[in-house]
Amino acid sequence: MSHQPCAIIGIGQTKHKKRRDDVSLPGLVREAAQRALDDAGMNWSDIDAVVLGKAPDPFEGVMMPELSMADALGAAGKPLMRVHTAGSVGGTTAIVAAHLIENGIHERVLTVAYEKQAEGNAQWGLAGGRSGGMGAGGIFAPWMRSYIQHSGAPEDIGWKVAVKDRKNALKNPYAHLQLKDISIEKVKESPMLWEPIHFLESCPSSDGACAMVLTNEDGAKRAPKPPAWVLATAMRSELGQFPGRDPVRPQAGVECAHILYDSAGITDPRAQIDVAEIYVPFSWYEPMWLEGHDIAGPGEGWQMTESGATEITGDFPVNPSGGVLSSNPIGASGMLRFAEAALQVRGAAGEHQVDDATVALGHAYGGAAQYFSMWIVGASLDAVAQNK
Amino acid sequence: MSASLPDETIDPNAPVANMDYFMALEFKETICPVVQRYTDGLLAGKIIGHRCSQCGLVYVPPRGYCPIDVLETTEEDEVELADRGIVTNYTVVTPVQYYGQEATEPFAKVSVLLDEPGGMLSLQDVLEVPVEQVRIGMRLEAVWVPESDRTVEEIGNRSWGSADGCILGWRATGEPDVPPDQFNDRVF
Repeated sequence: MSHQPCAIIGIGQTKHKKRRDDVSLPGLVREAAQRALDDAGMNWSDIDAVVLGKAPDPFEGVMMPELSMADALGAAGKPLMRVHTAGSVGGTTAIVAAHLIENGIHERVLTVAYEKQAEGNAQWGLAGGRSGGMGAGGIFAPWMRSYIQHSGAPEDIGWKVAVKDRKNALKNPYAHLQLKDISIEKVKESPMLWEPIHFLESCPSSDGACAMVLTNEDGAKRAPKPPAWVLATAMRSELGQFPGRDPVRPQAGVECAHILYDSAGITDPRAQIDVAEIYVPFSWYEPMWLEGHDIAGPGEGWQMTESGATEITGDFPVNPSGGVLSSNPIGASGMLRFAEAALQVRGAAGEHQVDDATVALGHAYGGAAQYFSMWIVGASLDAVAQNK
Repeated sequence: MSASLPDETIDPNAPVANMDYFMALEFKETICPVVQRYTDGLLAGKIIGHRCSQCGLVYVPPRGYCPIDVLETTEEDEVELADRGIVTNYTVVTPVQYYGQEATEPFAKVSVLLDEPGGMLSLQDVLEVPVEQVRIGMRLEAVWVPESDRTVEEIGNRSWGSADGCILGWRATGEPDVPPDQFNDRVF
């Protein structure tokens, strides 16, 4: 299969908020898409195809929104594809768009992901309309307890992640939560939602969208701003439930990470990746994914958090944007990780820019921690080799 | 995947921009034969699983296949499971008051590893035990709905409500707890 480099030349996102009642659903996606087009120096007519992702339709109760939103997405008469992989969908959507470029199918692809949580109820959607629904937190809570028990992590690790990501969000004008007075004390004393997860260790419920314009090498040359290059993509999934499954370190997540590193030429992810945007909807998922994707050794993920390695100023910054803990328009949350990784290697992350970032990881997971999507982006096509 | 943070309150004097609108769609899910055997079993007071002939893993509710070995499982692989077991993991949920939510107080949902021949039921309710006393290793037994009142209407093909309508929940047997090292590899 022919494989040509894919460049990210336009990135846009909305201001994420609890309730974006100033825009309709199509208005929300257009806001992000228009910003991505502006960033790429393009018009709607320059786009060859659109790839859209969002979390399950029952979250807003608008079924197959890609059909009714085709006009708003500038996709009338153009190929339009919808992607579904639960919470990881924003990441998967970006990967599908990148593959359309890499395989020479299209030259300029707009990819968009969104959620408008205020126009529905995700927990109701996840409960299938039944009473006693637990939300994603209820599903993940026992796994976090299991991680804590097996790793021997002190309980304040979760609180530290919650504080770090919210402090990072103060440097990101698009982030939903702007908790200026966040502190360990506040996190610890916030109500217990899903034991062991406190209220402030959990993601918010947000309205928001994210969009990117992807193109090939020729398109990148014509772009007004420096591109980010897609150096590797990987997707893996497994069943959400079967006897003997280890949901704390799912096999699909381990394999996805290794395929990604191999494909990017990364042999030591902690040393060769400058910054990571990892899908952390509940605080404990920072150390869990650091270990689950072999960035840290077994039982060592929490030590990276504890030592400050994952702070913006640390040697392996995680979620300088504030992450999912600060903005969670579910369908867009994965694409935001991918887009924020790209912003970092373009040197365009503003106040939350990590110094000298040339190789970045974008990561998303979804379902019962069963779908994984990841990409490595670089400031140049040989960024990994230069990062030895 | 969210919790509502009270970071932005809604101004009661602001113009109305959104209104809740509830609508209903009634449908009946056609139950596939393998789930039908399972629901028939529940109505008769039995928990039926499938044991893979290759790896020996027990699936409950049965699926008709083993995803590990990629093998079909059939009625020949049926095993009647115990209605007693141990708590291998749990969470205590503070309920969100979405439309249709009946729970108002924190409640526990537990994973129950059934006694031999095994099988795991997830997201089960615990009865008669205060939530703060729910713990890993605790021994439980099923509390069945009286036979004449049992219903399987809530059970679907995707394991929705795995034994709802037939098993009311699980109560402590009062036997000593099982040490975690005896089931550490079978937590999920």
